Amino acid sequence: MKKRTKRLLLNWRVLLLILFLVGSIATLALKPLTFGIDISGGVALVAQTEHPVDSDTMQLVVDSLQKRLNTLGLRDITVEAQGDQIVLVKVANVSTAEQANQIKAVIESQGVFYMEFTGTIFGTGNDIEYVGIYQIKPDNSWAVPFRISKSAAEKFAELAYGKVGWPVDMFLDPPVNSLMVVPDSVYRLMNSTEFNAEAPEAPTLMERIGKAFNITVVSYANQSADEIAKLAQGKDKIVLIDVPQDLQNELEKMNLTVRYIPREPGESDHQIVVKALGLYGPYSLGEGLTVGEPQQDVQITGSAPDRLTAEQEASTIYTVLKSGSLPVKLTVVGMEFISPRLGEDFKNQALYAGLAALIAVLLIVYFHYRNLRIAIPVASTSLFEAIIILGFAALINWNLDLPSIAGIIAAIGTGVDQQVVITDELLSGEKSTKITRRASVLKRMGRAFFVIFASAATTIAAMSFLLVYFVGTLKGFAFTTILGVLIGILITRPAYAEIAKYLLGED
Amino acid sequence: MSKPKTKGKPSAGKAAGANRTRKWLKSLAEMEYKKMILYPLVVFLLALILLAVNFPILGIDLQGGVVVTAYGVDANPDQLAKDLSAKLGVDVRVESFTGVDTKGVRVYAPVGTDPTEIIQIMRETYPDAEYTHSEVQPTFGEIAQKQGLRAIALAFIAMAVVVFLFFRHPVPSFTIIFSALSDMAIAIAMMGIFGIELTTATIAALLMLIGYTVDSNILLTTKLLRRKEDTVEDAYLSAVSTGFTMSTTTLGALIVLWFISTSQTIDNIAIVLIFGLLADFMNTWVLNAGVLKWYLSRAPRGGSA
Repeated sequence: MKKRTKRLLLNWRVLLLILFLVGSIATLALKPLTFGIDISGGVALVAQTEHPVDSDTMQLVVDSLQKRLNTLGLRDITVEAQGDQIVLVKVANVSTAEQANQIKAVIESQGVFYMEFTGTIFGTGNDIEYVGIYQIKPDNSWAVPFRISKSAAEKFAELAYGKVGWPVDMFLDPPVNSLMVVPDSVYRLMNSTEFNAEAPEAPTLMERIGKAFNITVVSYANQSADEIAKLAQGKDKIVLIDVPQDLQNELEKMNLTVRYIPREPGESDHQIVVKALGLYGPYSLGEGLTVGEPQQDVQITGSAPDRLTAEQEASTIYTVLKSGSLPVKLTVVGMEFISPRLGEDFKNQALYAGLAALIAVLLIVYFHYRNLRIAIPVASTSLFEAIIILGFAALINWNLDLPSIAGIIAAIGTGVDQQVVITDELLSGEKSTKITRRASVLKRMGRAFFVIFASAATTIAAMSFLLVYFVGTLKGFAFTTILGVLIGILITRPAYAEIAKYLLGED
Repeated sequence: MSKPKTKGKPSAGKAAGANRTRKWLKSLAEMEYKKMILYPLVVFLLALILLAVNFPILGIDLQGGVVVTAYGVDANPDQLAKDLSAKLGVDVRVESFTGVDTKGVRVYAPVGTDPTEIIQIMRETYPDAEYTHSEVQPTFGEIAQKQGLRAIALAFIAMAVVVFLFFRHPVPSFTIIFSALSDMAIAIAMMGIFGIELTTATIAALLMLIGYTVDSNILLTTKLLRRKEDTVEDAYLSAVSTGFTMSTTTLGALIVLWFISTSQTIDNIAIVLIFGLLADFMNTWVLNAGVLKWYLSRAPRGGSA
């Protein structure tokens, strides 16, 4: 008997299980598990870019969101890109719903910033490397110094060569690729030299935005909604400025995206254009920048009638430059807020539920076989499996969320199933006829493992698509299921087979 | 190779305890395969009809909307819904739930409602409750829907390919694949009946179902095709006894999980799996077994997988 015990303990499959088990317990002791927002509490936001972007742009989005949220003084922030359009933001330690909503507002208020000259975009918010403190001079002129990237500086130097006094425009969230329908007076203003700084020979604002952003401006002359819709073909949206509001409803009924900008009391044509385009400027190009030499350190200057206005203008530009650094507009399309206290409850529940499920397995297996020598190994192997999965999760800093826990439960469920298959194959040797007995243990185990590998392979195949294709929180579910199945077929199942053979006297 | 019997061997105790089940199983084992194939097919068709007339409601994560959950609230859901609808000016739906140690309500409101406003109103009556909220825009719901469909379709195809690679015979492979499909269809139909929403979590559960249900089918198919030393009836009985042990342990664990958890995610995953496993009892041990019997009677040397 002793010899058998020794042989079992020295069996490499059993050794492997012990090794992994000890390793996992050590890992868990040294490196506590981290939990997802739905357990630790906090807010999870799903943001969507306005159109699909390439991976470089996505990385820029992730970086700048991270920076922006950091400056808010929030801790424990993770920003993660999923696919080409989705960004997942998770912030832990958020204790009230109001705080959660503030974070949402911050993400959505991030603008897309463009610097444009003669209808060419030479830089975006990402080209702004540094923004200095603005200065106000005694004559109420102001200056905001900032540094642009080398590539933007080079592009600009080439564009601006010899064009003293030409207009430089900055835009925050302009209506890219749109049709603008404006009153005739606004149309004439945009088509004039009003926005040309000190260079009447430069292209008009209408030409510049047409070339840079594919914005088409039409004068409103009682066109019908159908006519406008026809003009807007191929455009992303229609911007209606100070025209009858009925048009908005009619166009929206045709499933078109419409933005309506009414004229506020006392608002001038100039003001309404600036507002609709998100235009800052135009700024007159200083002589120093027109010699063809790239300069990264530049400044925007302006002058105001009084000190207060100067301060306002300078601080607006300062803020725009500083925060408008997203390469693409983001909308929060989903958010979930869990209060930390509730998360704690969930964690305990998951733990109790897991333990209770384990006890249920123990009892049911016992009632099936009327044998504790089977029930205890089955239940404890499942427990070991859970410990190894958790140890692995701790090791790679996997955030355990509720779906991940569901995945662990799923993996353990299939684990128990497979242990039952092994047990029954081992037991079948003795209750059948002589002929069966000739089928060796090896053959029966082979059959059991064929079933196990086939079902493991199907589960892994099915779940890997979830892991790769799904956005949102279900990745955790797929991950732990696959991990559990792998640990099962590689470590715990072979070890259980050895232990069961030993206990049932079949080795 | 096998050792002499030691005490407490399971076969003896088991036979005494489960005599009636045995008899029933025996009658299943001897059932005519045409009936075995016909009944599950009728159930599958019924499930399809049910799905056509009563498809489960899409959860807010698939169609957009706002949900506020308040824990520690004991309220009449209808009354609360009326009050909230009047104060907010939009129609809300209220559902109450009970966990082991807490009661609560979930308030569902249409897209665009401000969840903090709902919380503020509720705080006036229930200041001590714990609130959580989530909101989903329809655009994201659409993405999630598309991805859910894609995940299910691809997972299904992957499963089918793997099953085919393992068995290499069209009839048994196809039957396993069809069983999984029928399990899913029945589970979704049951969701419709019991008012369980289709959410990303329940989609995950449906995917899990692929793994679980294929298990018992693979077991049966393997035993019947590979085990040539037994008669088909004996192989079937041996597979059934293993399969029932497997399914009851899983069902037991899931029922416990469902009882204890108050997390909607875990609750819904558990209940959908329970539906699926129940459907799988029929699809594996009646339908798949029937097809395999017919297959083996037609081609006695058919299985060499």
